Amino acid sequence: MGCDPGGFLSELEIDAFQELMNIVFGSAAADLAEVIDMHVVLSVPMLKMTRASELPAFISQNIEDGSARSTLVEQTFLGRFSGVALIVFPHDDENKFITLFRENEAMYADFGSPMDLEKEILLEVGNILIGACVSKLAAMLKESVIYEPPAIAFKDTIKTGFYNRLLKPDNCAIVLRTSFRFEADDISCYFFLVTSESSLIWLKKAINDYLNQF
Amino acid sequence: MIKKVLVVDDSRAARFGLCAILSKIGQFEIHEAGDGKAGVDKFNEVMPDVTFMDLTMPVMDGIEALAEIKKVHPEAVVIVLSADVQKSTVERVMSRGAMTFLSKPPVKDVVEGILAEVAKKLESA
Repeated sequence: MGCDPGGFLSELEIDAFQELMNIVFGSAAADLAEVIDMHVVLSVPMLKMTRASELPAFISQNIEDGSARSTLVEQTFLGRFSGVALIVFPHDDENKFITLFRENEAMYADFGSPMDLEKEILLEVGNILIGACVSKLAAMLKESVIYEPPAIAFKDTIKTGFYNRLLKPDNCAIVLRTSFRFEADDISCYFFLVTSESSLIWLKKAINDYLNQF
Repeated sequence: MIKKVLVVDDSRAARFGLCAILSKIGQFEIHEAGDGKAGVDKFNEVMPDVTFMDLTMPVMDGIEALAEIKKVHPEAVVIVLSADVQKSTVERVMSRGAMTFLSKPPVKDVVEGILAEVAKKLESA
């Protein structure tokens, strides 16, 4: 099997997966908008099938300012549907995010150093988005997942390490990308969902079950 | 009586799902468009009784398409069907003249109930 989505999923299946993610992102945006009381603008999700070794380059190319100084929150999820979800905060916007969430200072009163506080805030935003997106997608596909603890890479390049747990470099993965733009402050973060090769057969069936419900 | 229904969505799968539901509800003449601009053009061409409009679309988004349609046809019945379920989004589309807002994915009973409401409205008009 080559890493070509058309070779694995039909055009309608690809479209259905994107539509499912659209529903999932909309739900996550609503959750986040409640927390920060700000409208979140969604983008049309983009899907690509790629070799795991090409994921860091793909992610770097699909965030506005490249990967060099981004902060990344990543979380692995396991089950019949397994993969890695990543939230990328581009440099500059990352500081605005911290300011935005810091307005709820009382929530973070117990964190001593500014570094701990920043880490906690970005982990919290990442956790809300990843949890909302992955759990909602799993529920729509009538599946449940187990999460590993999230990890954060601060002001670091996007390295290959994030996928090692699930994928070998030559494995194929489906990667979906969207952005969340916070309208009032004009700041963005990016969401990437990497589905492991071992989930692809299950995913194809789950997408067809979703389509067949209509 | 509802005869013509227009479905505007950039997702072929979303159009497939809604069209399948509509086919189970009744015998409608269903037209489709793949973005907001194509939706406005198709609306002007076929003058549907009801339009289902997605929001997040390329070329022209659903809010702009809704505004374009309502500007020229204030009586148009436009139902927004979107995954963007934020309160602020619902307020925006309602203020631009949408008849109602439905969250994705569409559910047959809900769509059927809304169409019955629209049919009543059209009969009394």
